Amino acid sequence: MSTTQMLKGIIDGCVLAIIKNKEVYGYELAEKLEEYGFESFSEGTIYPMLMRMQREELVSATFKKSTAGPRRKYYSLTRKGEMELEKFVARWDDLQANVQRVLHMESVD
Amino acid sequence: MDIRQRLSKKSNKFLEDLNAYLFAKGKNFKEIDVIIEELEVHLLEAERKGKPIEKVVGNSPGEYMEMISEEMPVDYSNWIKYAVIIILGSFTFQIFMDILNGPLSYSILEIVGDVTISILFILLTLVSFTWITKRGMSDRKAILVLTPVMIVPVAMFVGLIYLNRHVETPVIHFGVTSSWLIVSLASILVIAITLWAKSWVLVVILSLLILPEFLLGLTSLSIETQLIVSTIISYGGIFLYIWIVSRREK
Repeated sequence: MSTTQMLKGIIDGCVLAIIKNKEVYGYELAEKLEEYGFESFSEGTIYPMLMRMQREELVSATFKKSTAGPRRKYYSLTRKGEMELEKFVARWDDLQANVQRVLHMESVD
Repeated sequence: MDIRQRLSKKSNKFLEDLNAYLFAKGKNFKEIDVIIEELEVHLLEAERKGKPIEKVVGNSPGEYMEMISEEMPVDYSNWIKYAVIIILGSFTFQIFMDILNGPLSYSILEIVGDVTISILFILLTLVSFTWITKRGMSDRKAILVLTPVMIVPVAMFVGLIYLNRHVETPVIHFGVTSSWLIVSLASILVIAITLWAKSWVLVVILSLLILPEFLLGLTSLSIETQLIVSTIISYGGIFLYIWIVSRREK
């Protein structure tokens, strides 16, 4: 698995986690990812990702008017999306624990 | 104020290209509108914060367009609608031209050739559209690319006319009554397309192509003069019409 592919799966999980916490629209989501340190990606890539997630019924979307300006498309997590997020968290914990063990036992200093 | 007016030229160009690209790729109109609207909002907010468009669409807009396109299902119903209109539209044109010279008759070669070339024309247009929009070409460059592409079907139509004179295929002859019945059907079709598209384009172009030749035929001018004058009026008129419409849209 290449780094970008690995990162893709991880960003997927992070996007689900952000959406679960609060309904967001695209720009908000991109900003949040950047705040958390994912800065190198181009913001627009979240849209094909959201389209896929919508097709896979992990997220649902509704248009809402904003106070100043055009309407925004807000995303929220579906039941299926919540389950997918749980799976991601489990996978991630597992992966992280494994990496931690390796780095701990095999001193890399 | 319209959101597009608040966006930079570069962002507008990108959105226009993306729109045309997805259209040429046969995506659903409604879904195209949704993603364009979403990106408008995003680009607007990004520009307010002083981010360059590259931060949103990446360094290769073409690749980004492909990424979006891959996530959208193909919906050929739009295409088929346009294809049918273009093919039938070209037939009505042919029919109106021919009825001026008496009852209609068509060879199998003409009918098959017309449909084949029309389909080829549509495919060529769509392929060149995706090619042009993916590269974000300027209008001038796009015309440079499109002109030779558009000459191909025109040349093939001319070729078909000559081929039809030299190759014998069965000919379908229509009597006077059935010829006028076909003309009436074609007229109804033109009206229907005009109402559906809410555009006079077909009526204007058909009139410009047919009326000068017909009206000049009633005068005592020599055939050569008639041909030259009607061609100038037809193509000059079409050019003028397109120019006026494009000016008005801007």
